Amino acid sequence: MSPNDVFDLLILTLLIGCALAIARLKDLAAAVVLFSIYSFALCLLWVHRGAPDVAMTEAAVGAGITAVLFFYALTRTGRREK
Amino acid sequence: MRRVLALAVVLVLAALMMAGVNQLPPPGQADQPVHRHVAADYVAGGAQAGGAGNLVTSVLLHYRALDTYGEVVVIFAALLGVLLVRSTGGPPTRPPSRLVPVSPVVDQVVRLMTPFIALFALFMIVEGHVLPGGGFQGGVVLGALMILLSLILGPERLRGLLPIGAVTWVRAAAPLVFLLCALAGLGLAGWWFALPDPGWLREFVLVALELAIGFGAAAALTGFFLSLAVDGHH
Repeated sequence: MSPNDVFDLLILTLLIGCALAIARLKDLAAAVVLFSIYSFALCLLWVHRGAPDVAMTEAAVGAGITAVLFFYALTRTGRREK
Repeated sequence: MRRVLALAVVLVLAALMMAGVNQLPPPGQADQPVHRHVAADYVAGGAQAGGAGNLVTSVLLHYRALDTYGEVVVIFAALLGVLLVRSTGGPPTRPPSRLVPVSPVVDQVVRLMTPFIALFALFMIVEGHVLPGGGFQGGVVLGALMILLSLILGPERLRGLLPIGAVTWVRAAAPLVFLLCALAGLGLAGWWFALPDPGWLREFVLVALELAIGFGAAAALTGFFLSLAVDGHH
């Protein structure tokens, strides 16, 4: 296994771990933070796969803006899933 | 019983999907069928034909400019929808409550970083036809900067930055500029979104399109955020 494959495998493991945790968490604020981490890991994967344009969008939209909008939506509803 | 059934469905679907994925050609090989027909031409001559050094931008603003126009209109329509829902009643909202005062560290760091973030966003927008990045990415960074500023200054201060008439024009800038460029292509070169011929005019149209996308995206994101942060009845 080449170092490139090891990197991909690490990122993919992180992605799956984050996705499972997001689905199971009852604390929505923590889920939003994990979602941000998920997006950032995906952004690294895009860079590594040679797609810097997609990576920039992922970093700005996925890791940045959506988290802020989700947090604001949470202040209007509630922090915990019922 | 239901759990067993659900598990069975998931397992069957996963097996089917895995079987399909297994048949895909390995990524990154240039001699696969998908890379041999039109895609090869785009990769070979796309950067020249689009007048842009960045192949992605060339595809976005030249080969499929009409689709990009559609996307710009979709973002604009989404903004209109949110603003419409927020300004015509909707559920009564609590006044924006500042639960935690902004920490002086956050305040100082945002103030310090603002010019650099703004410059970077503008650079991404204007150089988007040469380097990775482009109007949308730069616009999102600009929108994020606006949101950061509204977090430390308060949304009302941000709202007063531009006169209300100018805000409307900035929000509508992206679809309007796209329409203008489409018409310019029709008039100067014969078809919608054709890039006119002298090199400097080509570059001018590309930068105009990128600027339009950038400011449209920034205005839309700031608009989404402000409509959440400020009570819509105004």
